[in-house]
Amino acid sequence: MKPATPFRWTLLAAAAALLLTACGKQESTDATAAAQNGTPAATAADPLARGRYLVKAADCAACHTAAEGAPFAGGVKLESPFGIFYGSNITPDKEYGIGRWSADEFYRALHDGVAPDKHLYPAMPYTSYRQLSRIDSDAMYAFLMAQPPVNLASPAHDLKFPYNLRFGMMFWNIPFLKNTLPDASSGQSAAWLRGRYLANALGHCAECHTPRAFTGQLDDAKPLTGAALQRIGAPDITPQGLAARGWSAADLQAFLASGVAPQGSAFGEMFPVVHLSTQYLTKEDLSAISTYLLGDQAPAPQALASINADAAQQAAGRKIYLAVCAGCHSANGEGKPHVAVAMQANSTLRQADPRNLIVAILDGIAAQDFPGLESMQAMPGFSGQLSDEELAQLANYLRATQGGQAADVTAETVKKLR
Amino acid sequence: MTNSANSLSGIATQPLSLTINGKPSGPTQVPEELMMIDFLHEYLDLTGSRLGCGQGVCRACVVILDKADGSSEEVRTCITGAHFFDGKKIRTIEGHAKRNEQGEIVELSLVQQKFLEHFSFQCGYCTPGFVNAATILIEKLKRQPITHDQVEAVINEGLGDHICRCTGYVRYFEAVKDVVMNTPGLVKDAK
Repeated sequence: MKPATPFRWTLLAAAAALLLTACGKQESTDATAAAQNGTPAATAADPLARGRYLVKAADCAACHTAAEGAPFAGGVKLESPFGIFYGSNITPDKEYGIGRWSADEFYRALHDGVAPDKHLYPAMPYTSYRQLSRIDSDAMYAFLMAQPPVNLASPAHDLKFPYNLRFGMMFWNIPFLKNTLPDASSGQSAAWLRGRYLANALGHCAECHTPRAFTGQLDDAKPLTGAALQRIGAPDITPQGLAARGWSAADLQAFLASGVAPQGSAFGEMFPVVHLSTQYLTKEDLSAISTYLLGDQAPAPQALASINADAAQQAAGRKIYLAVCAGCHSANGEGKPHVAVAMQANSTLRQADPRNLIVAILDGIAAQDFPGLESMQAMPGFSGQLSDEELAQLANYLRATQGGQAADVTAETVKKLR
Repeated sequence: MTNSANSLSGIATQPLSLTINGKPSGPTQVPEELMMIDFLHEYLDLTGSRLGCGQGVCRACVVILDKADGSSEEVRTCITGAHFFDGKKIRTIEGHAKRNEQGEIVELSLVQQKFLEHFSFQCGYCTPGFVNAATILIEKLKRQPITHDQVEAVINEGLGDHICRCTGYVRYFEAVKDVVMNTPGLVKDAK
């Protein structure tokens, strides 16, 4: 690392900040407030600390670092209804990375979705990153430019027609690229504002948790109400949705910090979010995210509703539960520490949509190591062991007894998810 | 005992019938929540299946489940309820060797014999699981022979989930390879 480079960027960042302040733009006010709150400041000892923290908070690695790949060298596969996207190489390699980009060009990519040589697809969440302050963009740029370059081409996207026509993004951006994202909660405290910046601009929660309309744009009328872009759906994380599944601010913070809460553990696409991003955030920032998600006046977490369900169906479901689930989740659903999560009031069981519960039982969940010494062992999939009817009975037993949800899963529902 | 949920000192029980090592067992009143490993150990005195991790990882506890279509699979008895096996056919480690009328062992199965010849195990705790896994594999190859170049990968796939803490993997694998290569009909292009 050349000592001159980060220093130069720090200067540049400061200059950019001044410039923005001089322009008197609205976003710089938010950004400055945000910047002063919770993000570790760059110090002489580690001038890149701020950029590193922001790159973690923005979870760049989720798409730009492959499981077995070099950091930020790209290659992560993202399947979508439009085809397959691959995360690009964002190391400072001059041939395949962003080594020739200026800080202005980097900001333009985050803010407008336009790279020096092409329009980006919104699989790169510039619809969210657009709200990043220029100071933060520059700090992230400085950090990325200080990483080892990797001379490796990113795989080409494999998209369906007409989505493979990049110039189309110009027209998509006109109606759909907006300066702000709608809020699902209300608040005005400093924590709520900081949380909004973290959740919307950096964490880009909405990209998975807000449903998408016809051409893949976020549906502004339903912010954070949940969506199923991939096999495992992103649940409703509005204040009402979270409270209905028993989440308190403290539990949310524990979940984001450790991946595990009384309501269950992070799985599916949320696991890498915790693994690569949220576990590294400061307590203050996690508290701010919880405040933003639940609002300044957080609704009280709801107790389990009692459900009347067909006794014979429930008995059949319980029999299956005792046969193949209770060994790890225990007979009464309290779970086993470091082995399997509790079923009692589990957040996935409390979702009205049974999709995630059914998919988890069908496919299983790989073993996961969480921060510290926490881990959950592999859950086997039961697609080969349980019929559609049996799986529906099991899901209904769990929903009614542990999730407070109607026992309305049918064999047909299961069949569609196989 | 015809009630569906009899009470045994306050514990709900259900009748359980199954076929173990070719012989019918039950109906026995068994607690609803009992795991299969405990049923084998405590009710039937079949103590050869080993309780290792107790959470489905080590596979020392597996038994062979024989399915109606003639295929078999291993099932982890430490995390599978006893009543899962109601009406089913299973084999445990006690069922592999040939016995005389007094129940004394007169001949080991080929897999067991080869494990001895290759000094495959040291403490032997994991061995019942490995015997069951290897037996399932050999029987599968009798139905669906493989080619020579697939042998090592198939053995790895068949035994790979089993954990052995004495690091005996290599000799287990060598023993199974010996059986595979020297049993006619398992490998299509064997020399």
